[in-house]
Amino acid sequence: MTRATRRWRGAGYVLPLVVFLTALFLVPLVQLLRLSFNPVDAYNAALPGFTLSHYGRVLTEPYFYGALLHTLLTAVLVAVLCVLLAYPAAYLLAGRRPGTLRTVLFVIVISPLLTSVVVRTYGWVVLLSGNGVVNRVLVGSGLIDQPAQLLTSYPAVVVSVTHVLLPFAIIPLTTALGGLDHNLHRASQTLGAGPVRTFLRVTVPLSLPGVVTGALIVFALAMGIYITPLLVGGVTEPLAGIRVYDQVTTVFDYPVAAALSFALLVITLLSTTLLGGAFRIWERRLYG
Amino acid sequence: MAKVLRYDRGIRLLGGLLACGVFLFLLAPLAVLVISSFSPTTSMAFPPSGASLRWYGEVLSSPDWLVSFQLSGLLVLYVVPTTVVIGTLAAYGLTQGDFPGRKLIQALALSPLMVPEIITALGLLYYFHGVGLINTIPGLWLAHSLVALPFVVRAVMVSAAGLDPTPERAATSLGASRLRVFLTVTLPLLRPGIIAGAVLAAVTSLGEVAVSALVAGANTTTVPLRIFSAVQFQLDPSMAVVSTLLMTASVVVMVVADRFARISEAL
Repeated sequence: MTRATRRWRGAGYVLPLVVFLTALFLVPLVQLLRLSFNPVDAYNAALPGFTLSHYGRVLTEPYFYGALLHTLLTAVLVAVLCVLLAYPAAYLLAGRRPGTLRTVLFVIVISPLLTSVVVRTYGWVVLLSGNGVVNRVLVGSGLIDQPAQLLTSYPAVVVSVTHVLLPFAIIPLTTALGGLDHNLHRASQTLGAGPVRTFLRVTVPLSLPGVVTGALIVFALAMGIYITPLLVGGVTEPLAGIRVYDQVTTVFDYPVAAALSFALLVITLLSTTLLGGAFRIWERRLYG
Repeated sequence: MAKVLRYDRGIRLLGGLLACGVFLFLLAPLAVLVISSFSPTTSMAFPPSGASLRWYGEVLSSPDWLVSFQLSGLLVLYVVPTTVVIGTLAAYGLTQGDFPGRKLIQALALSPLMVPEIITALGLLYYFHGVGLINTIPGLWLAHSLVALPFVVRAVMVSAAGLDPTPERAATSLGASRLRVFLTVTLPLLRPGIIAGAVLAAVTSLGEVAVSALVAGANTTTVPLRIFSAVQFQLDPSMAVVSTLLMTASVVVMVVADRFARISEAL
């Protein structure tokens, strides 16, 4: 084997993937990027040329930049909620020895991943509708007098999006917690720390890589999610994904939808890179 | 000491209760659908006033739903082989190979997971318009394959990373050709990852809606797309029935595959 062939060992195996992703992922994204700079005629049809007017609209019209801001805040909120909810579940799952109960719990955790996002969301629509379970419980317990409008409300959107993305936080956290060395807990308790202190000073810091991975995945997915908020919150919910969908399906303004998409992509990539980088620096400072 | 133990048990109990709450939260919307699917009336009120298979009969005799079931099943049959072949080869090359740009290609392979779904959807919509793939089965086949591919690559990479090179070397030194080594030695060793990847690809294709909603059309309404449009206009137990059937299909695929491979480790 010559030096040159060794240098390319295994490259042939990735060739189909590179061709496939170039044709169906990179080329469409580049076309979309070019479209976002194309001028349009009176019917929103793209014309050749170059303009920044779509990005100008995205950055100056509250309808668009407000949606971007709202999406960013919602994604952060959902990521925080997912990590908080994932922690007890992952802790319980990681502490179980392999067996039937662990398998059942695991199936529950990934059950949302195995069911279409539409099915999961539909479940929430049924739960939150005018004569749904949540309203009946609220009215029955005397908390409210008549059924509340839960669908198309912001809390409903946050709850359903959190539900859809929660498994993506539980899985990396379970891996991180499952890999912890139990001797550290024993050492901490032998040295006189109580269970709470051991949890806060040993378990939580050691599980932080899992927390960060989970939070970043949930955040990135929450930035682009649109089916769930569309079904639960309605088309007026000011989220960037829904605005893009609306521009494409009812206004037929592709260039501005493309510009809004790329603004969303840049914000998502910048945030995840900055947060991931900040965590790595902080981790290095902590452990040398 | 006894006091510390009781305290410890209290904390444990609290943690367990919180965890149970989370598991309940995960299950609730799915359980509600399964129960509602047995409703005897047109109302989606919960709990239903009785139990019947009326809506199952109605769904299974509806030509619209049957066409959608056929289409969704057909797409799984296209998407799984496509993604498994491309994904397995790539995962093997990425973990065992050594060539310039390997890290970059690995990032590319997983990037469809990190790009907001609406952007992938819009990109394909515009691209498919240009090449005439909107509202076609090949268009949905390619779109589903794109969405499912990163899951397959990741699942097979888990198996390929732990691959022992000794059997491959032994087969090569005994005179087997590279193709023969790959087919008869490497592939069987990668089997757990491949099965896990195939299951994830099937489940992804069965449930895909974010990209399909933009690139499909009236002639290519998959099961989740039909639920998507139906939920926006009316609520009746037939969608709960379809959802239950869809969930059952996914769970069956998963349980059968779990006998051959630990799916849990591939996620």
